[in-house]
Amino acid sequence: MSSLLQQGLPLTSARGPLLQFMRFRGKINIQRPKQPHYERARVMAVTQPKYPEAPKALTCFQSRADRTGAQVENPYNAIIAREVRNWLDHSKLVAIFHLNSITADEIFRVRVQLYKQNLHLKAYGRKIIAQAVADSQYEAILPLFHSNHCIVFSPDQQRVGALLRITRKVPQMVLLGGIVEQKLLSRNELVHFAQMPGLQAAQAQLVQTLNMAATNVVQQLQAHQCNLIKVLDVHAKGDTTEKQEPEQAKEEEKQT
Amino acid sequence: MSIPFSGTLRRSGGIVSAIGKQLKSVNLKGVKRITVQFDPFAENVKATREFLFLLSTPKVSQSNPKCIVKPDIVCDRSPAFIKFSLIDSAQEQAKVKEIRFNSDNLNTLELLQLLNKHVSTLAPPEEIVKKVLTKAEKQKLGSGAGGKKAIKKK
Repeated sequence: MSSLLQQGLPLTSARGPLLQFMRFRGKINIQRPKQPHYERARVMAVTQPKYPEAPKALTCFQSRADRTGAQVENPYNAIIAREVRNWLDHSKLVAIFHLNSITADEIFRVRVQLYKQNLHLKAYGRKIIAQAVADSQYEAILPLFHSNHCIVFSPDQQRVGALLRITRKVPQMVLLGGIVEQKLLSRNELVHFAQMPGLQAAQAQLVQTLNMAATNVVQQLQAHQCNLIKVLDVHAKGDTTEKQEPEQAKEEEKQT
Repeated sequence: MSIPFSGTLRRSGGIVSAIGKQLKSVNLKGVKRITVQFDPFAENVKATREFLFLLSTPKVSQSNPKCIVKPDIVCDRSPAFIKFSLIDSAQEQAKVKEIRFNSDNLNTLELLQLLNKHVSTLAPPEEIVKKVLTKAEKQKLGSGAGGKKAIKKK
């Protein structure tokens, strides 16, 4: 009875909506869309959104550096500058060299030889050194860093001789000047300083010079007495040799 | 209405490439010894020091391995100079024994230009060395004239 009712009244059927399948497994087309109808196209053109244009400044196409006009400095430079300043303050000897074209191998060998003598070879850029020595007593060394350079630091100033000996064998390193115990020395002065005797010898010389007046007086007072003693010595030796000679002659005769 | 073209087709590379170009044509064959004297604390020695560095580069020093470059450091603020002591044939050609550049007011590029103008021109011309042919090379030359059969037989 119910099935008869269902067959007779198709409007009350419980079947789903009528489905027309447009697509079956195929690829959809988005690259060549259908041209819209004129009316539809007109409506779409009218209803396109219009956005207000952002105001373009004159500096729009300039980079940030041009816009701000300020050079951002790398804070690492300050750290290296502090390190350089530290080295300068705590080294008794600082020697600055002009560096000609040199291979990394050779400079490494030189660095090793210097390290064995407690001499530390370093190289920094001119900007960093300028930052390090600005407003300090070391400002005078700045003109030495205009070209390719290297610096040798030593906490122990007696090594000037060793430094010169090692760098003499390296033609590419040209000594320009140095600082010894907070005193700026030119190249010739450094070489002269290396040839000078050590501090103790210099002090001994000074003491000798100071005492020279007194020693002169004593020497002159004792001059005659010393002369007499010498003459007596010579005379005494001359007597003994005369006595010894005949004795020796007798001994020789006995032997023969 | 258009104006005729004026200006350059290529932009110049700047002073660095100009220096590089001069360096390529440096020839020190006519020089026995180069003495570079300067006071490091004087003004305007940057160009001299750069010039000394460029003379010590391998390419320039290989143009004449016998030439010695001697840097001389003085402490009396005297103006810097560079002296080139010439070899005998160059001396005859130039009628001077040495050439001296007072480099106090010159920059590196100008120094190189002067070097190329005055010193590189005094280099003696290279002698053409006769090449001794090896057996293989002689065979190749022979086969080129005679044909391939000669090679096959051998």
